[in-house]
Amino acid sequence: MIEVAHLTKRYGAKAAVDDISFTVPPGRVTGFLGPNGAGKSTTLRILLGLDRPDAGTALIDGRPYRELRFPLRRVGALLDGAGPVPERRAIDHLTWIAQSNRIPRRRVHEVLDAVGLGAVARQRVKKYSLGMGQRLGLAAALLGDPEILVLDEPVNGLDPDGIRWVRTFLRDHAARGRTVLLSSHLMTEMADTADEVIVIARGRIAAHGPLDEITAGHPSLESAFFALTGDQGPGW
Amino acid sequence: MRALLSAELTKIRTLPATWIALTLTVVTNTVLGALAAIDTVRITTANGEVAVDQVGTLMLAPAYIFVAIAVHAAGTEYHGGQLRVSLAAAPDRTRWFGAKLTVAAAVALLAAIPAVLPGLLVQHGAAGDLASGRTATDLLALLAAYPLLSLLGFGFAFLTRGPVTPLTVLLILPVLVSTTLIGLFPQVVRLLPHEATLSLLGRAADPATALGRGAGLLVLTGWAVLLVGIAWALIVHRDT
Repeated sequence: MIEVAHLTKRYGAKAAVDDISFTVPPGRVTGFLGPNGAGKSTTLRILLGLDRPDAGTALIDGRPYRELRFPLRRVGALLDGAGPVPERRAIDHLTWIAQSNRIPRRRVHEVLDAVGLGAVARQRVKKYSLGMGQRLGLAAALLGDPEILVLDEPVNGLDPDGIRWVRTFLRDHAARGRTVLLSSHLMTEMADTADEVIVIARGRIAAHGPLDEITAGHPSLESAFFALTGDQGPGW
Repeated sequence: MRALLSAELTKIRTLPATWIALTLTVVTNTVLGALAAIDTVRITTANGEVAVDQVGTLMLAPAYIFVAIAVHAAGTEYHGGQLRVSLAAAPDRTRWFGAKLTVAAAVALLAAIPAVLPGLLVQHGAAGDLASGRTATDLLALLAAYPLLSLLGFGFAFLTRGPVTPLTVLLILPVLVSTTLIGLFPQVVRLLPHEATLSLLGRAADPATALGRGAGLLVLTGWAVLLVGIAWALIVHRDT
């Protein structure tokens, strides 16, 4: 269970996140939607203890992330701007992550095989394509077999096969009673994957509820999103 | 803590820059040791032609290649967004920084042995004074200087969020800043890291900037403690 309560984060005079509250229950895939600069990434960074809030709390199973002893066994995360050193080999990147949280070495090979990188595990990451880099990020998130997944744009750069694999994996993860918080700009993909949706705009929660409630009265999640965020849609 | 120490050791061991820097340091130190031993190459300075061995800055040059090991260990945390992965894996920032610092210091100390020993043996072996107290003192001074300069660079890399600026500044300080200021402020110049290191090694170029070996060690330690302390404060308080 993820609980965010009255979270606020300011950069100078601008509030990136302004008094937001929501919960992400287990057993569901919860989508986290918002335009660029709406506060999604800031919220996720605070949730994972990477940035400090000015007010409010973000808790994982009732505790701040920073208090978790071996956090990767509880929470797997894929974040924008968080990745391996390009000169390092993929297998070495996952090895140090596993060591840091006392995750068995065999998991490194298991997750590399699971995301289809087993054959190229000894290549340096700088030789990877965008999609392969994304698969490596997913492998790192899955390393500790965590109860909770926090994924920011997980299908970015993936081929159709990879996108389907992620969708199926997340649905199965939630079906096993686990928690998934999924941020994405791909509305069709989100509509196919999420059970619940949180919409954030200009640092505030614009809507939160089951997918069918959010889309009620709209032809699609995309049009509901534009209506809720006050965005005019395509045109820039 | 053991888990974090193993993780940080794997990080530093699997960076190509670590092995490249160590190899280059061994090679340049050995070549300089050989040149000093055979004394066939002379360097032209303001005081006329002198032996390679008499140009302290040249003999210390390999240390700046060696420093790249610790600087890269710290600076690459900001490369590709690794710092966020590190802090997500180890959210207690003081523990994480402590583990990283411990590994960087231990690696610098252990790697300094193969880095300086061949050059020292070649140089002192040719002079026939391998068993002398001077050789032991020089070895101990080098084994203090290399890790301390490394820790200074390690802290600096966190301050500048990358490996390039610390290495550039550490190289520019002796080449440009010291040579420019030495006539005006010798009392200040001798407290700069490069000059303090030369004093520690007993290789101060100018009597005006010379400190005793002990004082050089203290000044260099002070620089390392200062920069590592600033780095720790930044890691604990700064957002990613």
